[in-house]
Amino acid sequence: MDETDEALMARIARGDEPAFRALASRHLPVMLGLARRILGNPADAEDVVQEAMLRVWTHAPRWQPLAQFRTWLTRVVVNLCLDRKRRAPWVELEAAGELTDPAPGAGEQAERNERDRLVAAAIAELPARQRAAIVLTYGDGMSNAQVAEILDTSVSAVETLLVRGKQNLRRALDSVIDEDK
Amino acid sequence: MNKKQSDALLEEMLKRVTQAPPADDAAAARVLRRLAGPLPQQKMPLWRLPSVLLDWQFAPAWPRMAALACCAALGFIIGIAGVDRGFDGGGPPFTVASSADIGAIVFEPEALTGARP
Repeated sequence: MDETDEALMARIARGDEPAFRALASRHLPVMLGLARRILGNPADAEDVVQEAMLRVWTHAPRWQPLAQFRTWLTRVVVNLCLDRKRRAPWVELEAAGELTDPAPGAGEQAERNERDRLVAAAIAELPARQRAAIVLTYGDGMSNAQVAEILDTSVSAVETLLVRGKQNLRRALDSVIDEDK
Repeated sequence: MNKKQSDALLEEMLKRVTQAPPADDAAAARVLRRLAGPLPQQKMPLWRLPSVLLDWQFAPAWPRMAALACCAALGFIIGIAGVDRGFDGGGPPFTVASSADIGAIVFEPEALTGARP
């Protein structure tokens, strides 16, 4: 039976490398997906997630199970992404145009892909914290409380980030939304 | 389209665009490979410091400790047995302080003035 994240962390705190690799392989795909959506660049996402996992290793002896490990790791990844965004320019979310919806025909699909590309570009233009809040809320389906814990802020601040983010998006996507009317 | 409908449309688009991409196993494998190298030293919590300091590891130092003890014992035996006296130039084994005219040197009157110290 698989060990819990907390049990693995207890082993990692004692310097157990196989436990670290087991924990890393368990969380890497999801964290890579998250970092990629915030950063918009697969190479940067890999660097960030590698850095986050190394922090898991070095800080494991100090880690206290006050929150779920997954929440803590998400927080580390998001913070590293925000740090990196302050330093590096945005690279467009290249996969956005490929996200598929199975039903419609080719023309409709192409239109939808184009709309999604515009939405992704608009999200890319948002300030980093607004973007992170939107990705965590709409992409990962997290509650405002969870997002607040990850962004180390209050629930009302997250609500403000989401409202402002959506206002900015609405302004940027006026034409796209109008097309859909 | 009213504001409510446009909000709903925007949220639907956001959900679609920000949804988690399919797992990229190749990228995960690349990161795992990078993590396979030697890992950095872990940071110890401060509350563990006393136990770390008390966790003496003498085992690797025992041969040196034994060599030091042997040297000390050998020096002690040589000192007790007087084996080293042969190296002192063959003089008397003991110097008697009273046989040397120390007092004369110290209290000898100065040759020119006859003054005593």
